[in-house]
Amino acid sequence: MQTNNEADFTLDLRGESCPYPVIYTLEALEGMKKGELLQVITDCPGSFRNVPEEALAHGYTFAQDPIKNGQEYLFYIYA
Amino acid sequence: MKTLMQTIFQRYWNPYVVLLIAGALSALYFGLTSTVWAVTGEFTRLGGDILKLFGVDISGWQYFDMVHLKGTTWNRPDGWMVWGMFIGALLMVLFSNSFKIRLPQQKRRYVQGLVGGIIAGFGARLALGCNLAAFFTGVPQFSIHSWIFIVATGIGTFFGAKLTKTRWWKGRPSLTRGASKPSKVNSRVIQPYIGSVIAIVYLGLIIYFFATGQKFLGLGALFGLAFGILIERGQICFTSAFRDLFLVGRSVMAKAIIAGMAFSSVLTIIVISIYDVTPITQIAALSTFVGGALFGLGIVMASGCETGMMYRLMEGQVLFLPVFVGNIIGATFLAYAWDHLGIYNVLVKSGAKINLVESIGPVGAILLTLTMLGVLYTLTVYSEKRYHRKLIMKRGMKEHAN
Repeated sequence: MQTNNEADFTLDLRGESCPYPVIYTLEALEGMKKGELLQVITDCPGSFRNVPEEALAHGYTFAQDPIKNGQEYLFYIYA
Repeated sequence: MKTLMQTIFQRYWNPYVVLLIAGALSALYFGLTSTVWAVTGEFTRLGGDILKLFGVDISGWQYFDMVHLKGTTWNRPDGWMVWGMFIGALLMVLFSNSFKIRLPQQKRRYVQGLVGGIIAGFGARLALGCNLAAFFTGVPQFSIHSWIFIVATGIGTFFGAKLTKTRWWKGRPSLTRGASKPSKVNSRVIQPYIGSVIAIVYLGLIIYFFATGQKFLGLGALFGLAFGILIERGQICFTSAFRDLFLVGRSVMAKAIIAGMAFSSVLTIIVISIYDVTPITQIAALSTFVGGALFGLGIVMASGCETGMMYRLMEGQVLFLPVFVGNIIGATFLAYAWDHLGIYNVLVKSGAKINLVESIGPVGAILLTLTMLGVLYTLTVYSEKRYHRKLIMKRGMKEHAN
């Protein structure tokens, strides 16, 4: 299991249900400087799809493919 | 085989495919049983069962007569529809090894879930159906009450989304500097085995129902299972359909639901024409509007409706326990308020059962329904585009200011 140590911020969303993972992720990205890296840890199954899709739709890019880690997902998104 | 299993259990299914299948199955279920895929009516009956358990005399309550409160949940087809959905969802969760107790970090979610659940349960039963009987399976029955319900739910959801955005409601996320470690993964996989045992027992039960001539219980249990599988695998969330349009300009669920309803309407009109069955019509009245608006608000507050709550609870999202309890409390309180607090006289009595098939014939009914769904689809695409146009403008202004 590789962990990305370069992440500037981590958003730990474990336990939170939809829609809060999407809202929190977009909010965190909006508050960061362009080019900073956000690590998102989430375990709400709905967020496995809507977090990456909405991050892309809002113009952010992914540093790497999402990582499935047991019952949770890790996302690495550039603000 | 391995890739097939992976596609089925390791990935969530395309919501369009799932809702088209669900639409077809609900038309088939209607053809076979003359009832529709619904859940909140049974929640009300569960509330009645619980009241009886505590010795409350509910014999005079009109609402319980109206929803045919008889026997126990185990010998009602609608009861097995609910339990089948729970089991179908649970099986999918176990087969994909995705069960996990998920406790919200924000403790306020429990209160929000309970209060939202009560409002949603109350509103759904006031309008005589949740987003199944008054929405997804109501439109294909050509019952006008579902059209009112959709508009009202949209309005309620709009205010719910506004509430969700406020700081005191959503709370602060735990954003920390630097990277942090994810959870340790347990390498022993036992969930699929537990799932297999439950699946075998449940299939045995369905066979038992059919073998002993209890056809309707068997059909309820079977279709419930299928719907449970579908909503979990598709992560079908009626709550998000309107809400996410307002919140983040996300339209996929709304579009998939509209497509599913259109397909189901076409199949249902065929079933009605060939087998000469009467579509199920509910009263359209002021109560439909008020109930729909309350329902829309409640489901956003609770983060899930009566349907979405079911598979999320099975995934181990503890938040949905108070939502489930709230739904039953709300539905039961409505059953009480119906005659005891005069809700029927004020909001329902003046209404009428209007069905498009009866009023304008089958051809007119399907054409008008498809037109209405077309308008709904256009509005959805429009709101999504509008959201993103505003976003680009906001970005531009921010960069300009910098």
